[in-house]
Amino acid sequence: MSEENLRWRRVHPVTPLVRGWGIFLAALVVVANTQIDNIGAGGGIPGFGDLLWSIVGLVVVLVLGIGFAALSWRYMKYAIGEDTVQVNSGILFRQQRRARLDRLQAVDVVQPLLGRIFGLAELKLEVAGGADSGIKLGMLSLSETEALRNELLERAAGVRQAKRAETAGQEPGASDALPTGTTGTAATEDGEGHGEGLGTVEVDEAGVPGVPVRASAGAPADADVVLEATAAPERPVFDVPAGRLVGSILLSWELLAFVVAVLALAGVVAGTREPFLLFVVLPGLLGFGAFAVSRFTREFGFAAGISPDGIRLRSGLLETRRQTIPPGRVQAVVVHQPLLWRRRDWWRVEVNVAGYGGSKESAAESVLLPVGTRADALLAVWLVLPDFGTDDPVAVLTEGLVGVGPSERTTVSPRRARWVDPWSWRRNGWSVTDRALLLRSGYFHRTLDVVPHERTQSLGLQQGPLQRRLGVVTFAVHSTPGPVSPGCPHLDESDAVALTVAQAARAHEAREHATPEQWMRTVSEGVL
Amino acid sequence: MTSSGPFDPDGITWTRVSTRLVHARLITAGLTLAVPLVVGVVLALTLSPWWWFLGGGAAVVLLESIVVIPRQVAAIGYAERDDDLLIRRGILFRTLVVVPYGRMQYVDVQAGPLDHRLKIATLQLHTASTSTDATIPGLPPHEADRLRDQLAARGESRLAGL
Repeated sequence: MSEENLRWRRVHPVTPLVRGWGIFLAALVVVANTQIDNIGAGGGIPGFGDLLWSIVGLVVVLVLGIGFAALSWRYMKYAIGEDTVQVNSGILFRQQRRARLDRLQAVDVVQPLLGRIFGLAELKLEVAGGADSGIKLGMLSLSETEALRNELLERAAGVRQAKRAETAGQEPGASDALPTGTTGTAATEDGEGHGEGLGTVEVDEAGVPGVPVRASAGAPADADVVLEATAAPERPVFDVPAGRLVGSILLSWELLAFVVAVLALAGVVAGTREPFLLFVVLPGLLGFGAFAVSRFTREFGFAAGISPDGIRLRSGLLETRRQTIPPGRVQAVVVHQPLLWRRRDWWRVEVNVAGYGGSKESAAESVLLPVGTRADALLAVWLVLPDFGTDDPVAVLTEGLVGVGPSERTTVSPRRARWVDPWSWRRNGWSVTDRALLLRSGYFHRTLDVVPHERTQSLGLQQGPLQRRLGVVTFAVHSTPGPVSPGCPHLDESDAVALTVAQAARAHEAREHATPEQWMRTVSEGVL
Repeated sequence: MTSSGPFDPDGITWTRVSTRLVHARLITAGLTLAVPLVVGVVLALTLSPWWWFLGGGAAVVLLESIVVIPRQVAAIGYAERDDDLLIRRGILFRTLVVVPYGRMQYVDVQAGPLDHRLKIATLQLHTASTSTDATIPGLPPHEADRLRDQLAARGESRLAGL
């Protein structure tokens, strides 16, 4: 492609300072730790000389860290092409990474605490290439990051900018670099229909109030119109009040175990009068408590919204994260309810998005609803599948969430499965809509997996010796890596075979009519 | 083939893998079990009769694998349908995997030194899901090549994003 027309840019010059700071902090912790250990070991208060050496060491580390970060900053460049993002980085081992925008799975704007102080943010582009496959751009100023995100999403969506004016301020060169070949011709064909497409966008298929269209959509329906990469307007759908988040953490097994362990420890210490026990067990216990803290800081202020660019999520107390998951990128959904939440009818919704699964922050990125009422949970599923493929999505979903026993929609495990599954055999079951497969299980910890037909990767049946005697099999839908592993245990043999065969056919059918990767291209047909 | 049931849906003819896989697996099992067997017998004769447990245990496992491996290999089958590939295996713990061609990301064909001598290869299909376990061991090399090319071609014509 026309490489010479790319405009290469650098990330924000403060980046090395922010990055080097982390190394300095780590060194500081190490030094402080050894000093404290020294005091603990009876070395007494360190003398002036010791302290001086520590400070000199720290300064050296700081200078080296910032120097290294500055060097890597100098070698890092990025450019936005017509349908690719390119990043060159590395000092000795040079790396050039080029990602196709139509394969973009999600775009996150992450602001670490330090970044928030400087007004900087990091842009994370996820593609489905396994672990460490995404692109990280940062740090950039917050406004630049957002502009870039909007730009990328617009391009990834297939929203064509025939002529990008300098008013957009982003890509003076790239517009001339129209690629030749198939993409180019497809794009120009698309150009005419596109303006109208934006004007007539209808997102409220499932009877939910319409989502506003891009601000620029009001402009004349002309392919030559200048679309500024403004953020697609967003409509808030639900948020999580801090009180409920705290409540949900208090009502978790992890915290219950923590409290019980602390009480037991206190009892033992009081009984034996051996306080040193505290120092032995406490660090381990603190790890347990850290779960609660990290979950609180991660999921604080959680809010979800919908925009033409897809699902927008924001969360975070110290480090904030704003995610955009374009339409059709969610591979599977799980709605589940730990037993302790049942009285309050709270639910948690998590999703599989290709690209999120492999990363370290997967646990933070894959949450669609940390804790919410049943209405919130239904809305969360609606975000993923606006068209649920049934007349009465609420009834179908409610049955999946809390239903027990067979119904005209749901097939459950046969009675003989109670030998291997004494409680949940009446709850294990599946139902099918035109768009998705619903698999429910769990009597105490209620679970409902929803897999859109076109997102089925492969199907599996498994049977152990005991199951064979009972004539039941475990059915599984294989999805991309993530928190959801859809499946349903102990189904009747013939039911499961029928399901597998039918589901393979449904998945095939759905793939034929799947939304294209560039989701805005078909928006004029009313498909989101 | 074996009894019908959930792992033998109607209208599907299974292709079995090469019986040379039996030899490959038996040789591997024999080599790994020979060490504890020999060590156990030698120590039992020289040190203490308790070592017979080690030697005996290894012998039992070896005999068991001689009985089971041929049946396990016979239970492995695959079938190419119009839009997907079916793979089944296992006697005690049975599995069946349905992999649509359009979902395939890439195909691996592998053969170790022993496989090379016995003229067999292992073919593995990868989808975007890591839980897809679609492996066909014990294919004759020409069949592995044919299947690989066939699958790659079909995957291409049926590709649909993720």
